[in-house]
Amino acid sequence: MIDTTLPAPPARPRTLMVGATMATGAVVMFFGGLFAVYFSMRADAMAWGSEWYPEGAIQLSPGGMNMATLTVSTVAMAWATHSVARNDRIHTYLALALTAVMGIAMINQTVFYLNDIALPVDYSISTTLLFTIVGAHMVMVGVGVLWLGVLLLRAFGGQDTSRHRDLVSAAALYWYASVAVYSVIWIGIYIGK
Amino acid sequence: MTITETAPDTEPGPATVSSLEALATGTDHVFLGRVWAVAGGLFLLLSLAVGILVGIERINLDGADLFGSGDEVFQFWSFYRVGLVLLALVPLLIGLATAVIPLQVGASSIVFPRAAALALWTWLIGAAVTAVGFLADGGLGTPNAGSQREAIALTMVGLLLVITGVLLATVCILTTLVVARVPGMTLRRIPYFSWSMLVAGTLWLVTLPVLAANAVLAYVDLRGRTAVHFGAEDAIWDQFSWAFTHPQVYALSVPLIGIAFDIVPVTAGLRQRNHDVVLAAIGLFGAIGFGAYAQSFFDTPGTPVMEEALYVVSAFLAVPLVLVLLGGLADSLQRGAANFKGRPPAPLVLSLLSMLLLLVGTVVGAVRSIAPFELLERSTTGAQMTFTIGAALVGVIAGMLWWGDRITGRKAPQGLGLLAGLVVSAGVLVIGLSDTITGFLGMNDFFGIDEVTAGSPDGGVEVLNGVAAFGSLLLLAGVLAWVLVEWRRLKGSEADADPWGGHTLEWATSPVSVTSERPLLDAAAVPDEGAS
Repeated sequence: MIDTTLPAPPARPRTLMVGATMATGAVVMFFGGLFAVYFSMRADAMAWGSEWYPEGAIQLSPGGMNMATLTVSTVAMAWATHSVARNDRIHTYLALALTAVMGIAMINQTVFYLNDIALPVDYSISTTLLFTIVGAHMVMVGVGVLWLGVLLLRAFGGQDTSRHRDLVSAAALYWYASVAVYSVIWIGIYIGK
Repeated sequence: MTITETAPDTEPGPATVSSLEALATGTDHVFLGRVWAVAGGLFLLLSLAVGILVGIERINLDGADLFGSGDEVFQFWSFYRVGLVLLALVPLLIGLATAVIPLQVGASSIVFPRAAALALWTWLIGAAVTAVGFLADGGLGTPNAGSQREAIALTMVGLLLVITGVLLATVCILTTLVVARVPGMTLRRIPYFSWSMLVAGTLWLVTLPVLAANAVLAYVDLRGRTAVHFGAEDAIWDQFSWAFTHPQVYALSVPLIGIAFDIVPVTAGLRQRNHDVVLAAIGLFGAIGFGAYAQSFFDTPGTPVMEEALYVVSAFLAVPLVLVLLGGLADSLQRGAANFKGRPPAPLVLSLLSMLLLLVGTVVGAVRSIAPFELLERSTTGAQMTFTIGAALVGVIAGMLWWGDRITGRKAPQGLGLLAGLVVSAGVLVIGLSDTITGFLGMNDFFGIDEVTAGSPDGGVEVLNGVAAFGSLLLLAGVLAWVLVEWRRLKGSEADADPWGGHTLEWATSPVSVTSERPLLDAAAVPDEGAS
């Protein structure tokens, strides 16, 4: 009997995914360094009975809103990767645009909050850390939004297809990492104060 | 019917590209590797020149002879360390890796070639900005706040660019290693240098971003206002110093092990025994080189990180690991003794010397971590860095002499190369031993311009400091000789395709299938009874 089974296609190395994983890992380690400083200095301050933030200075609502926005954006990002895998261009446009809009909303909210907060950056060690960490994360999200913009342009040009979807998957990985980093900010800074 | 077609008089030739355009837009991995190496070599010369000035200043501990103040001494002292590591050694290693690794794994080019070019130029601009920051009275702060804050901020920006460039280049190299290997080449079968770069690069990816975080914190704190904590001028170096001391220096020296293990078995003409043990030992040595946690600036009162178990154990674990690796090399040399004819090749001698220097560095590191000796803040810290970074530098010279013919297509004067490497090794040994002894005599790592800052050391220190300054001169002379070697290589005769009888893919002159970690040895069907 003749074997009519087609040979399996050669495994395609997902070069972009591997590179993006490494780059994203480095970015996460950057925040890891900042978090380590933040939590170790906070623990020292607490151990000495010192005030970390003035009472009522850190509001939970802006951080919570941002967390909710970013959480929903992960669904939109997953929608984009799913759509591009199925060559569904309309849904890809919508999902990428929606994710980018939520990223912009998050940046807008953060800028508003950093301007609104009654503490200057040089008020204390804690505020210096707060502005550095939250600001750096804002930059991370900003880079993600730019990346999504490029993807959207490529999608309009018909270049994001199921055969060339690694750039979307790599962007999704980066986006999920930015949301994971924010979850630490939300819990450690906004909730834990 | 006959159709007649008139051929054009002249065929259009290739578009002419100016050398400047070729330099700025080149993405070939060998070309990029050479530019990395040349730029790293120039910053190496600059760093060593600064090191000589600092060494001469250190001869007289009670006063400023060359510099105007203790703060100026500090700026040059810290530039020497930053320059030696981030502006010289790391780019030299990246240059070698960028040129060699794609060949070793059988890739046609480096993955993300344009990103690799961007990494080079980002690093180069960052290195120039960093150097300008130091020269413009900035640097990484000063003990007595005698520097320009704007220039410190400039240095921070430069360092961030340097780190970004190094990380991007590392991503390109590691991605090449992970996805661009030829069929049959599993990770266990990649050559030792590639493996050691995989280990080192992974460590750089997880530790250098932490250094970048330190830089961003300091920048945010000092920019445009009174620093609260991180950007205070007397605090900045303390946040950065972990990247230039134990255990992080081991993460920088891992590639020299791979260089030695790629050279020794080939010159011995046999397969390395206990291949997997060697891979594991290199990986473990890299793992103990994770130094991002060892930031004494953030010590919780009463529990200094330098006295914690992880810090001390890693210092002691490094010694047996290097001994195991040296044992592996010695085994190959012993088994292949019959294959040596005439003088041993220069890369073999230098790679073994680099391993021995690394061993001395780990011993000094272990001794330094013994609390009763109280050496943690002494010049022994600098001695360990000198031995370890110096070992890596000798390893790079060995690597360039080994792979240089393949990379450039030109022969180098191996005898002069050997002499250069020996002089560099002698310089490293003289500086390192002097600093180790002065550490026991009570001299501080940073000595300033008065006896108190120097730690009020015992007598005889200044003589030893003079010896160390002589070692710095030797080091510079050796590196200049190496530059001469590479210069003469440019005018050298055409090199053979495989001058060493190599075992790995970079030496292949015809297609071979990969069925083990030594594919060319398999292809030659050399009987090898000692294979594991």
